[in-house]
Amino acid sequence: MTKKKLLLNIFGPILSVVVLVGLWQAIVVWGNVAPYIAPKPWDAIKAVTSNWSTLAPLTWWTIKETVYGYLTGALLGAFLGVVLNKIPLMQRVLYPLLILTQAIPIIALAPPLVMILGFGVMPKVVIVAWIVFFPVTVSVLDGLNHVDKDLMTLAKVFGANSLRRFVVLEMPAAITQLFSGLKIGATYAVTGAIIGELAASSGSSLALYQRSASGSLDAAGVYGTTLIMTAIGIIWFLLVVGAEYLATPWQRRSTARQWRRGAKPVLTNN
Amino acid sequence: MSSSSILELRGISKAFANTTALSTMDLDIERGSFVSIVGPSGCGKSTLFNVLSGLIQPDGGSINLEGQNVIGATGHVGYMLQKDLLVPWRTVLGNITLGARLKGKVTPADREQARSFAERYGLGEFLNHYPSALSGGMRQRVALMRTLATNQQLLLLDEPFGALDAQTRFEMQQWLLQVWRDTQRTVLFITHDVDEAVFLSDRILVMSPRPGRVVDDLRVDLPRPRTLDTLVSPAFTEIKSKVLHQLHHERAI
Repeated sequence: MTKKKLLLNIFGPILSVVVLVGLWQAIVVWGNVAPYIAPKPWDAIKAVTSNWSTLAPLTWWTIKETVYGYLTGALLGAFLGVVLNKIPLMQRVLYPLLILTQAIPIIALAPPLVMILGFGVMPKVVIVAWIVFFPVTVSVLDGLNHVDKDLMTLAKVFGANSLRRFVVLEMPAAITQLFSGLKIGATYAVTGAIIGELAASSGSSLALYQRSASGSLDAAGVYGTTLIMTAIGIIWFLLVVGAEYLATPWQRRSTARQWRRGAKPVLTNN
Repeated sequence: MSSSSILELRGISKAFANTTALSTMDLDIERGSFVSIVGPSGCGKSTLFNVLSGLIQPDGGSINLEGQNVIGATGHVGYMLQKDLLVPWRTVLGNITLGARLKGKVTPADREQARSFAERYGLGEFLNHYPSALSGGMRQRVALMRTLATNQQLLLLDEPFGALDAQTRFEMQQWLLQVWRDTQRTVLFITHDVDEAVFLSDRILVMSPRPGRVVDDLRVDLPRPRTLDTLVSPAFTEIKSKVLHQLHHERAI
């Protein structure tokens, strides 16, 4: 990556956030928006920092629900993608069921899950996993279905068994697709956790904190909570992007890194 | 079997549904020779390669490779197609050693061999590059090195240079002859390009469709090493004309 591109990659997003916050500030100040309708950005942030001792454990719960649910969903999704690809019969049997799982409005799914699994972490984890697995399954299936047939033939001629063909060729070939599913899932994961929290009307959680702030016309508290939820989503998304960056060096580099075990340094031109 | 043959086909045939892709065929390939197969599409060239490589089972007959019956098995030939089929996530070194990886672990000896191939044939500086950084000709070289690195005596090359421009193709042909001489492998080479077949080969098999069979078996006695001058020599033209006549005569029927 060139230096100019790197700078653009770092400052581009910062700039767009600054512009957005500036707009928010401008509308609230110049539009004479009442503080119980929308706070100034800084007031929303203050609502978070001044109540941090209350909010921190709630945030921590939401993070846990998001991460556990995401990892469960990602693993399950990848596994299903492989099963669907390897067992053609499963495409007929399972695929309609998978579509069905996504056709159920997730908000309608949350209350029965809470009834079954209680008010703890479990129903939230299930909802997040429920949302996340589907794009992962579809992307993995797509990736595996599009592995070059001639490459697989070549591997067969070379005498590779099906397990080796899978591990050495199909898995890495599907990884770019896998990450596009993982990224879609990452953006939805927090939403799933919050829906779960809303459905469980007892206990304490970010969603319920926000609801009570809303009830007491504490706009700063409402917006502040939204900021926390959004931050969790963005940070998780960036972590997934970072994992992709590390896992697919060939997409942005012309040479492999030298620290790889067994790689003897060789002279290169760039 | 005669001691000079590496490969003996006896009574090999293959039919798909109502078509005879390959009618009963006997063939002996001499060890270390370069044999090209030319013919229009549908003449059974690819079926022959698929049978030899073990991808499909012939309807009958025997295939003897270096004294082993190899019918229905795979992992006994080197194989290369027009598409280079390099994997983008492995470096040049990783691609050359792909055959070893597909059969188990890549040993230091495999890496050493790959390195020495790459260095000998001008890709030493690129060992650590990903294929996306290479030109078409370079990628095809890596693909051939990967084929060589399987250490199979018999190499099946299916139009390996078909996608290259004329200039690069000629360079690759000369390079292939150098590699062939250095490594002393036996090459079976499918091509549509009669010039290419005459330039490279010791022997040319002309095939014809419906049913797929060998209709002519020509010796190419042009001196080696072959150069640019070979292409314009009278002897070259004479053999080329024989092959062309055979091809078009067969097609006219």
